[in-house]
Amino acid sequence: MSSPLLAVSGLAKGYHRGGKAIAAVDNVSFAIGPGETLALAGPSGSGKSTIARLVLRLVEPDAGRIAFEGDDFLALNGAALRARRARLQMVFQDPLAAFNPRATVARVLNDPLRIHGIASRAERPRRIVALLERVGLSPNLASRAIHEISGGQRQRVAIARAIATKPSLIVLDEAVSALDVSVRGDILKLLLDLQTKERIAYLFISHDLGVVRAIAHRVVILDAGRITESGDARAVINAPQSAIGRELVAATPKLHRTTAP
Amino acid sequence: MTALLSIRDLSVAYRGNGREALKNINLDVAAGERIAVIGESGSGKSTLALVIAGLLPPSARIEGHIDWQTTEFRSSHSFAPPSVLPEMSGRTEGAKDRQPKFVPLGGRDIGLVFQDPSASLDPVMTVGKQIAEVAHTHLGLDWPQAFARAKTLLERVRLPDPDAAMHAYPHQLSGGQKQRVAIAAAIAASPKLLIADEATSALDTIVQAEIVSLIRQLVAEDGMTLLFISHDIALAAELADRIAVFRHGELVELGTTAQIASAPHHVYTRALLDAHIGLDTEPMLRRAGASV
Repeated sequence: MSSPLLAVSGLAKGYHRGGKAIAAVDNVSFAIGPGETLALAGPSGSGKSTIARLVLRLVEPDAGRIAFEGDDFLALNGAALRARRARLQMVFQDPLAAFNPRATVARVLNDPLRIHGIASRAERPRRIVALLERVGLSPNLASRAIHEISGGQRQRVAIARAIATKPSLIVLDEAVSALDVSVRGDILKLLLDLQTKERIAYLFISHDLGVVRAIAHRVVILDAGRITESGDARAVINAPQSAIGRELVAATPKLHRTTAP
Repeated sequence: MTALLSIRDLSVAYRGNGREALKNINLDVAAGERIAVIGESGSGKSTLALVIAGLLPPSARIEGHIDWQTTEFRSSHSFAPPSVLPEMSGRTEGAKDRQPKFVPLGGRDIGLVFQDPSASLDPVMTVGKQIAEVAHTHLGLDWPQAFARAKTLLERVRLPDPDAAMHAYPHQLSGGQKQRVAIAAAIAASPKLLIADEATSALDTIVQAEIVSLIRQLVAEDGMTLLFISHDIALAAELADRIAVFRHGELVELGTTAQIASAPHHVYTRALLDAHIGLDTEPMLRRAGASV
């Protein structure tokens, strides 16, 4: 196995609620290779989103190590951290909450190009058009406000913003959970296409085992901040070994079709 | 089959955009059945819940009728005095109908459960009081009786430690527990019809399965009619006897769950089924070229 893109070891984060100490993430270790999708699955409160925040360094861990692109990611600070953040992007469940709703699509895409010094002022409009086309949106959308476009379009803009800085890893936290099913399939296809062509790795956080099984290479199942099992996504979901894994599979709604559609 | 309610030529438009949220809907809901209404954003499924419950804003324009099977309600409750809801009866009855009709009352004849229990529950009132209030208001129970009923209901919705929960505030409960409280309040006055509008959509898969199983049990025990509104066709199929598929405000297909899931007539229903990603769906990921 080539050296991992992201290697997390012994990650821990606790917080206090009502005077009680709660371990949100407890001794979690995993690795993601280049161009690979690793899914984190588990019930509410299992620590999935806290791990996403820790990996993005939106919160600092109590213990553990995060190596990203061969460097100690937790040791980076200031300009070095900002520069490396271009390589590690994120897409959340609700792009309306993630963006200024009154900003235009062009401005949302202009910011990362400007901040990370990826394109000169003169070059940016052309880059914005290319990004929109890359995620399957019409360049005419550039002048529209974020609140004026549909949820599916907005999530495509969020993906365009994430790939603007040419990342090697994107954290997708329930990124397709709020989408209509007819839109969801196209967004998943877009993510897979980007992965194949740009070799982007995904940390894919989802409570939906059907989607995880459809798009992830490997899965880590979490319960109460700890890893209960991990492995090939199809193998784990087809025959879960942990109690919580079996419970998640049993709870997933199943569509019984008596004849082929 | 006795229809609990018959929807005839129902159209709804909200003021503002002028577009019709529901267009010419005809639907009979049988007494005691579990019917699911499924659709994507903008399908009109939530508007349907609101118009049936009489909860649309006064500015909404409503055409058509909803006729209720009065005998179904007469057994358990007295008629709603028409004077209580003159505006609503005026809006739901067509201009031709001059006779006062039975109009069910939300909270008493219709129980409602929404997606976000935090928005349904009063954050500064104890859980016990919120449930007791429903029984006190609609069943005319005195307060000690109403509180006793609230505790029985908390046991029925299988809340851990109902005694402690009676005195708890909503913020002290988990999302799943709050939804159980919202269900207890919704059924406190023994409604004939329970409407669950995306009632499990904000919950994780495991809690969702528990709440669906609870709803199934309560509906069976109390002989309620269930209108289950969801975006999830697989979830709807697990719970409902019949499924109504809505798109852009129109009812595009109505059938038994088996027929909808296995032999859909409408191309849109087929598209929804094809878009479902279940545990038996062919994975989209091509393994070749992926790293280990």
